[in-house]
Amino acid sequence: MTQAPYIEEYTIQAGDFTAIGEAATRFKSTLKMLGISSEAVRRAAVVAYEGEMNALIHGGGGTVKMTIHGDHLVIEVTDNGPGIPDISLAMQEGYSTAPDEIRELGFGAGMGLPNIDRNSDSMTIDTEIGKGTTLRAVIRFSPREAAARAV
Amino acid sequence: MAGGVKVKESRCRGCANCIKSCPTEAIRVIDGLMRIIPDLCIDCGECIRSCEGKAITVNEDEWDLIKSREETILMADPTFYVQAAPYSRPRLMKEALESLGLTDMAEHAAIAFDLAAYAAANLIREGTEHRPFISTYCPAVLRLIQINFPELIERILPVESPLETAVTLWRSATGSKKNVTLVSPCPAKATLARNPVGRAKSSLSYVVSVSKVIRDLLAHNVKVTGEGIKTIGRRWLLWSISGGESRHISAFLDKGMTSISVSGLRNTMDLLKELELGRLDGIDFIECRACDLGCIGGTGTYESRFLSHLRLENLETEWLPAQEEMEVIREWHEKGIWRLDTPIPVKERLPLSQNLEEAMAKLREMDTIYAGLPHIDCGACGRPSCRALAEDIVRGQGEETDCIFKLRERISLLSGEIHDLSSRLPHTIHPTKKRRSMA
Repeated sequence: MTQAPYIEEYTIQAGDFTAIGEAATRFKSTLKMLGISSEAVRRAAVVAYEGEMNALIHGGGGTVKMTIHGDHLVIEVTDNGPGIPDISLAMQEGYSTAPDEIRELGFGAGMGLPNIDRNSDSMTIDTEIGKGTTLRAVIRFSPREAAARAV
Repeated sequence: MAGGVKVKESRCRGCANCIKSCPTEAIRVIDGLMRIIPDLCIDCGECIRSCEGKAITVNEDEWDLIKSREETILMADPTFYVQAAPYSRPRLMKEALESLGLTDMAEHAAIAFDLAAYAAANLIREGTEHRPFISTYCPAVLRLIQINFPELIERILPVESPLETAVTLWRSATGSKKNVTLVSPCPAKATLARNPVGRAKSSLSYVVSVSKVIRDLLAHNVKVTGEGIKTIGRRWLLWSISGGESRHISAFLDKGMTSISVSGLRNTMDLLKELELGRLDGIDFIECRACDLGCIGGTGTYESRFLSHLRLENLETEWLPAQEEMEVIREWHEKGIWRLDTPIPVKERLPLSQNLEEAMAKLREMDTIYAGLPHIDCGACGRPSCRALAEDIVRGQGEETDCIFKLRERISLLSGEIHDLSSRLPHTIHPTKKRRSMA
């Protein structure tokens, strides 16, 4: 019998740079309490943080949701922003549409999506121009860990 | 296992100041007394700073006992040599100590710090992976990484603390096997001697604070002339302010290096967080110190950190060792005495359960408990936050009524029930008719 997944969700307010990283920090603490390996925790924190940044910079706010299953977790970032016109372009390192005021803060270097991709086992992006974007990243717990836990 | 922090129970009034100051939430107040969770404590000394009743101190050994021994050998932290105006040069301090019959090893320490910087420079030059590297020097930062940022452990340079290496050099020069006392500016370095990271056993036997020894010297009003004692290098003294170590290391690198030096716990935590999120590309070396301005801001120091800082900023020094010193350093470098013996282990937090499903169930329970708490993190329950109380409850280390708001709710419910019950009467009694008197 598998249990229902554990879900944790945070809302990102438009323009609230001070709260950035909060979801990542909370997810990290949750995963540590569950005894997830530090490597998976690190990857989840990176994905959540970059997701928060994206939703804030491009999406005008949104939600970050983590769903933990028995052998993997899913991080979903949803915003109601303008959508991504060309995903393959957005996936290129260094490509960014962040406005100047964001770049002046030291963000928007065009590393967000590539970084999420690098730190997750699979990633999908659903986007519709004018409606918004939902990013879904899956992080699997290491097989060694899953085996140890199954006992 | 004795840590670097000690509580004087008679002075602790059970307030919530220290609970909130702890960066790793390692403090609880139970039955009116401060308690430290040893597995979470990084010996940073924030609780010492926060304690208004001065009940929390550096856990040091008995200085009167140590100095009454036949021979007292001190390995003093660089801060020790810049703290007291009359003795603010290593050779002046040496003279002062000698006149009280104490031995120090400043000249060996100077080489040990050169060696540590040289070793770090070599690792940084050759290392391709794990950049930026992280300094090993501040033991509180090391423990913080072990507990909160285990993913960063591989970036820590495997260089022994020069405070240990200095003792190795001194033993090799003198052939002595006598006990050595560390003069420490902070609780973290006290722990270095008692419970070292990266080596099985410390070469330091006892610990006493910088402030204790300097007070003693000043009380004796020892006069120094500075005559007849060889000048001792000064580079290593700069390790006691933020950025000194980086400066020393980069002197050994032809192309220099790109480094970030921060001090204070908040800066340290923020920087490590950014590093963890992969935001620090192009940086070679990171130097973090848990105390403001560096080790001179430690809770076991004597002088104002601002004055010490001023003195060190104005200290003129040659950053590169002389030719003959360099030969000694290279020789010791080849022998590898600077290298940490064992890898630095992760200190995993105990999960809610070893079984993931069970842990998830407990986490849900914790969320439910947390939802019912007032979320004002008042500390009256003895925990740093409502979330910490909820966690303690699901771990079986507390109950909901530890929260005074929950307690009040329960009392209010109970009093309502008492009121309700008191209005009920047994059937044998008529509600209005008076009972006949027994008389």
